[in-house]
Amino acid sequence: MLILVKTGYAATRDTTVTPGNKNTDWITGTVVNQDGNTITGATVSVKGNTNAVKTDENGHFEISAPQGTVLEFKAANYDVDQVTVGDTKKLNVRLTGTYLTKSDNIDVLYGSQSTESVLGAISTIYTNQLTTTPASLYVYALPGQLPGLYTQQTSGFTSFKTSPLSVASFGSNFVQSTSQNNQYSDNSEITLNLRGQTPITVIDGVQREISSIDPESIESVSVLKDALSSILLGINSSRGVLLVTTKKAEAGKTTIGFTTEYGLQQSLGLPTPLPAYQWAYLYNEALTNGGAAPLYTAADFNAYKNHTDPTGHPDVDWFNTILRKTSPIQSDKLNVTGGNEVAKYSIGLSYFDQSGIFNESPTSGYSTNNNLDRYIINSDVSVQVNKNLNVNLQLFGRVQQTTEPGGTNSDGSGIPAILQTLYGTPNNAYPVYNPNGSFGGSTLGGLYSNNLLAMSEYSGYIQDNTDDILANLDLNYDLSSLTKGLTLKLTGNLSYQSENVLNRSLTNSAYSYSPIDSNYTVVGATAAQQNAFATVFTTRQTYAQAALNYNRQFGKSGVTALLMYDTKSLISNYDLPAVQTDRALKVSYNYDAKYFIEGAVNSSGYNRYTPGHQFGLFYAGGLGWQMGKEDFIKDNFDWISSWKWRGTYGKTGNANIDQYSYYGYTQTYSTSNINWAYYTGTGRNEQFTYYENTIANPYLSWEIGNKFDFGTDISLFKDHLQITGDYYHDKYSDLLQIRGSDVALLGVPYPYENIGINQYTGFEFSATYQNNLDKFNYFITGNISTQASKVIYNDEETPLYPWLKKTGLPVTAIYGYVADGFYQNAAEAAKGAVYGSYTPKAGDIKLEDLNGDGQINQFDIAPIGGLKPLVFYGGTLGFNYDGFSFSVILQGVFNRQINIDNNVTNSFSGLGGFGTAPQGQAYIGASSRWTPETAGVAQLPEVSFANVALNGYNTLTSSFYERNGDYIRLKNAEIGYTLPDTWSSRIRVSSIRVFADGENLLTLAGYAGQDPEVSPDNYPIQRVFNLGISIKL
Amino acid sequence: MKNYKSTILIGLGLITLMVACKKQETFPVDKVTIQYVFDPRDSAGTNALKYLLNIYNVLKNGGNRVGGNYLDAASDDAVSSATGQAVTDLATGTYSSIDLPSDENVWSTTNSTNTFNYWSGIRYANEFVDNIPVVPVMGETNGVSTRYIWQSEARFLRAYFYFELVKRFGGVPLLGNTVYNINDNLSLPRASFADCISYIVNECSAIQDSLVTVPLVSPNSDNYRATKGAAMALKAKVLLYAASPLYNSSTNTNPLLGYTSYDPTRWQAAATAAQALINLNTYSLDPSYLNVFMQQNDPEVIFIRTVDNGTTIEKDNGPVGFPSNLAQGITSPTQELVDSYPMMNGLAITDPTSGYDPNNPYNNRDPRLGYNILYNGHPWLNTTIATYEGGANKPNNGQQQTVTGYYMRKFMGPQETQNNYANHDEDWVIFRYAEVLLDFAEAQNEVEAAPGGDVYAALTALRKRAGIAEGTGNYGLTAGMTQSQMRTVIQNERRIEMPFEEQRFFDIRRWQIAPTVMNTPLMGVTINNSNGNLTYNYVPVLTPKFTAPKMYVYPIPYDEVLKNPNMKQNPGW
Repeated sequence: MLILVKTGYAATRDTTVTPGNKNTDWITGTVVNQDGNTITGATVSVKGNTNAVKTDENGHFEISAPQGTVLEFKAANYDVDQVTVGDTKKLNVRLTGTYLTKSDNIDVLYGSQSTESVLGAISTIYTNQLTTTPASLYVYALPGQLPGLYTQQTSGFTSFKTSPLSVASFGSNFVQSTSQNNQYSDNSEITLNLRGQTPITVIDGVQREISSIDPESIESVSVLKDALSSILLGINSSRGVLLVTTKKAEAGKTTIGFTTEYGLQQSLGLPTPLPAYQWAYLYNEALTNGGAAPLYTAADFNAYKNHTDPTGHPDVDWFNTILRKTSPIQSDKLNVTGGNEVAKYSIGLSYFDQSGIFNESPTSGYSTNNNLDRYIINSDVSVQVNKNLNVNLQLFGRVQQTTEPGGTNSDGSGIPAILQTLYGTPNNAYPVYNPNGSFGGSTLGGLYSNNLLAMSEYSGYIQDNTDDILANLDLNYDLSSLTKGLTLKLTGNLSYQSENVLNRSLTNSAYSYSPIDSNYTVVGATAAQQNAFATVFTTRQTYAQAALNYNRQFGKSGVTALLMYDTKSLISNYDLPAVQTDRALKVSYNYDAKYFIEGAVNSSGYNRYTPGHQFGLFYAGGLGWQMGKEDFIKDNFDWISSWKWRGTYGKTGNANIDQYSYYGYTQTYSTSNINWAYYTGTGRNEQFTYYENTIANPYLSWEIGNKFDFGTDISLFKDHLQITGDYYHDKYSDLLQIRGSDVALLGVPYPYENIGINQYTGFEFSATYQNNLDKFNYFITGNISTQASKVIYNDEETPLYPWLKKTGLPVTAIYGYVADGFYQNAAEAAKGAVYGSYTPKAGDIKLEDLNGDGQINQFDIAPIGGLKPLVFYGGTLGFNYDGFSFSVILQGVFNRQINIDNNVTNSFSGLGGFGTAPQGQAYIGASSRWTPETAGVAQLPEVSFANVALNGYNTLTSSFYERNGDYIRLKNAEIGYTLPDTWSSRIRVSSIRVFADGENLLTLAGYAGQDPEVSPDNYPIQRVFNLGISIKL
Repeated sequence: MKNYKSTILIGLGLITLMVACKKQETFPVDKVTIQYVFDPRDSAGTNALKYLLNIYNVLKNGGNRVGGNYLDAASDDAVSSATGQAVTDLATGTYSSIDLPSDENVWSTTNSTNTFNYWSGIRYANEFVDNIPVVPVMGETNGVSTRYIWQSEARFLRAYFYFELVKRFGGVPLLGNTVYNINDNLSLPRASFADCISYIVNECSAIQDSLVTVPLVSPNSDNYRATKGAAMALKAKVLLYAASPLYNSSTNTNPLLGYTSYDPTRWQAAATAAQALINLNTYSLDPSYLNVFMQQNDPEVIFIRTVDNGTTIEKDNGPVGFPSNLAQGITSPTQELVDSYPMMNGLAITDPTSGYDPNNPYNNRDPRLGYNILYNGHPWLNTTIATYEGGANKPNNGQQQTVTGYYMRKFMGPQETQNNYANHDEDWVIFRYAEVLLDFAEAQNEVEAAPGGDVYAALTALRKRAGIAEGTGNYGLTAGMTQSQMRTVIQNERRIEMPFEEQRFFDIRRWQIAPTVMNTPLMGVTINNSNGNLTYNYVPVLTPKFTAPKMYVYPIPYDEVLKNPNMKQNPGW
């Protein structure tokens, strides 16, 4: 919208028209925003007339406009409004913020930079693009909106930690995680992938993992994708940055905004279980196919089908029994800002409450359904102490409580246990209740030791409490007295995070009822309600930064420089502090805002590397050319407003050592545990022995990313059309891998060494068009990204066959057996390759014996997918007309694959909900299994227990189970209406907006059998319908 | 004044920065480093001893070791009662260099429960041998300093680990005392079989006099230690193996797999080594065969791998059908093993004069049959075993149960007269005196033109202890046997004396009888009970497969050959 305003300027040129005489057509008024704050510099013009005025610092304007003419109001980042001049000579006009925001300055690491001088690849979205998404985390709003950022949702609810993260032994060390600070991240639902890497989250200049900030208090979310943009992170700069900037206090009248929302969630992708009689039929078939006698008789089938014997022949749809159809989600937000030029403040309070998918018993004294309750307070005070010194203090606090039912199975407790049991329990396993009112259970195979209803509604609860506090102090001192354009900035940040778990689970016994003798056999032991407490983790982080900034214009030459020192120290539980230190210098020069050059060096170190080898030098540079300012463009193509070329290259680092070892540069020894004690003497004294760990690697170093980015930003047709394109070529080397020649003769495992080389390349393209037809403001923006990868070097064993080679293939390649349909008859199966001691039979998957040795084994594993570059895209479109607003967000991906070798597809082939036990639940898809009659159209192998018991041949990872993972989602849609001023002013509020929005409204997927993102028996992805009202006082 | 205030504020800010620079230790104090394990200031050598114990820990407990089965279930002595077992793969030859059953892949298998492979054991031993000199351990036993004794124990264990590798794979790389580091080239070639044998034997000879001796000074605490007897027993066994037909052969052309010539003096060396241990007069046969496996510091036991006290063996191998003593009955001894036991009079059941009654086949047999095998009618848990079809211990109801009609009895406590299984020692006996006698008899028989009194004496000692009737003085052995006749007797005696002790699996290979015994169906018994009248039918239960000469040794694990250009694969794999 900025561009629109610029156009307005250019068109009118006379920005401060002072009318000569005031006649009857004279109109005066004020232009305000939705908060009621006045807008300075808004353009007011009479439609069809070139005359225009701009509002003054009080938002005031005066213009001559005869009755019946149309006044047009324009301002940067506000939608255009038009008012027909009537009797009223005094107009108060309120402009609505645009959905898409453009800014003269965009946020970069540790500061902001003028948009035109940016050379890196940065994509940004602003508040309005975040707030339409009703969800627990702001990352829910990112899919499809930021080119280059690929997301996948893995769970529909936050994950619980039910035990302390405190195991100090190697292999499960607390410090190990896949991304920096990931273990403290509150985002356990959506994985982020920026040009193939997991980005580092930086919030207001400090590296922290918080995803639950109220979107309304976020100014912008950016991804910094190239080397130059992230180089100030030094040894951690190669993975790109997710940069979150929260709203800062602004001077103006005190404004109070209150938003309340209420929505309903609905689980997506739940499978349809087979009714008991069909399951029994399938079970018989699996028995007979395995050479055993069938179990269920015709009488059984009738009893199951007609529900004549609910105790002896139960048919319980457990999904309907323990899950609710919808569950509420609610949030309330209060924001207060105000102040003057000396002191400004902003306070945000938010409450969020998300309920889970389980039914609750009205009789239990506590809530058992899973639930997330969160309170956040964020305050920001900025004081201009004197003309040179500005002090800014930010305090952030978060109190979060999550609960889940305490249900337990052999593999664990809480939601994962219940969902796993739910997905694995057949409809006829046991009745919900026995005739005497006790919980039904079954002694069969020891599988159903706990009643599902008892697990979800009567098993107590587990509660996770997470508390955060963060204090951030910024001192900005203007050193213009020394030399013009010089400022000093000091930042100190302290944060503390802790999570603890309170376990009040209990277990009820279930009983197996025998109708023959009316006997009740207890199944599974009762466990009294416990009251266990454990600290999951506590972390303390301190961050300090000192930076000298220089920014000055010398004629046509612009110079900026940044000299920076920072240190970050993180202490988690009892680990030694993890300290990163950067000493960086960044310099840029531009001539006439036409030619740009920028460079940065960073001497950056991490204290967990070998002493003496802790620091590395990282650097990046960039060049830019604003071609749009050249005469040959200006003179010949007036529809080109701006055309910038830019390129960056840099050497970045990735200090991911904590994922692989904790002080692994020195040889260490471990004490054996109870399972590995040696017993000496006739008294069998338990002796804990010392053994040597993985061999030390004193040469451990950070991984290196050499990243190249080349892009262009084009602005056309008076800035109505914006196009951005980028190409990147990132080569990551010194990747930590275990050497290929790790022979057993060494006697201990080989460590990770800096060996591998991977390459990621791709294109990113986005285009935005926005314009207005009178008051009808509309926009459409779309982006598409590709991401290809290649293993350049991988110290792999010399492959015996070409298909075993991984070097040269994409990093994302999937390996497995190659399937070629089914063995359609016994004769064909007899000729097939054997798998160990198992000879496949008719109805089994036909796996190709690539090396022709008659055996299916590791030499027949070949790439079966993931070979094409991933392509993902998103689009947003919408309009605003006279208070009505509408927007939709689409998101999609192609060249993606999913594997459906899971317990919904394959419950009768060994992937039941109970590990290898075959008697899992069966779902509607089982009707497409192979039988001699359906051989031609079968989608799944035959069911047979013999196969399961022997080897699980049919569940081997193979191309048989690879499916098209492409999908396109109507991710979000919102419709809103801002009540007319005349209404809101009557109740003395500055504006009222009502809105309805929704999430995951529609999905088209290449494979329809399951949700394309969240795999079965994870917490299902939620569709949300949400209503809200937002009031500004 | 205003600037003054600002200066104070900036100063405060800088102090905030300073706080972050506080020093802490640069290496975590909780990490154990080599200076701590081999502590040059600890005259007790506490941590070094713990390190030594870890080397002992590499020794394997043979009880249900291979995928839950005894290794002997991969020989003609037993089969597994369960389906899909690793031992069955070994018995039927369905394994290759890529899927050698993990518990027998002692070359490269490591898993999460810290079951270290023998290369780990060798590394630990080398590290101990190299580093123990810096620890000022005080004390001495029999004039040998404790430090030197410990070092010798590590060398013994290392020699033992090498032997375990060599008997499975043939010649292996010999690492000496080198502890290899991250940048060292480990593309080592395999040493010849001959070099491996002489390395092991020389190590045994070099250390045997610096180990503790029996009687132990403190038997209650040192019962697990490698003794002089253990080193001599290892030497005798290694030499016996080396002299055996598989290795001691002029038809062998591959030096990795054996000697390339026949040399009769190898038998002499084996006999001498065993004789030397016998002559120590330190060990003697325990008058009770069953007691040997039930107690530590038994006069017969030379070296053990300690195992906790319990009833694991009963639970894994005991007969099914005792509801209060749930057991898996996983080991099913074969009819072949049962038939190899003679009668109480010492005569083989094939001897027409033995008195063997096919209608009452377990009557009047060598007592070791009952000590090692549970058969129909054997007393157990205050009742008798019923393994006839449909009997309590062979119910044929679909649950896992014996497939041969027999259960393993060996290593179990005296449960015949208990109502419930009672805990007992479950130590795995690695060397015992009975084996030394057998080692001697086998080697000496090859040395002499015809077996002399010393060979007979070794066998009669075992038979007498077993409870076979003395008869005319030879405990059923025919007087004046030829060398060849005696060889058969000795091989049979080794089988019936030491079943389930991980002997038979290797014996049938080194005697080169595996192609015969492992290519004929293994049998079990089906007993039909008709109103108390038992009829015995013998049925095949498993068709094993042995491909000679390929399967005399295991394949080197596939990856190891691929990763090491100098690692030669065994022929045929």
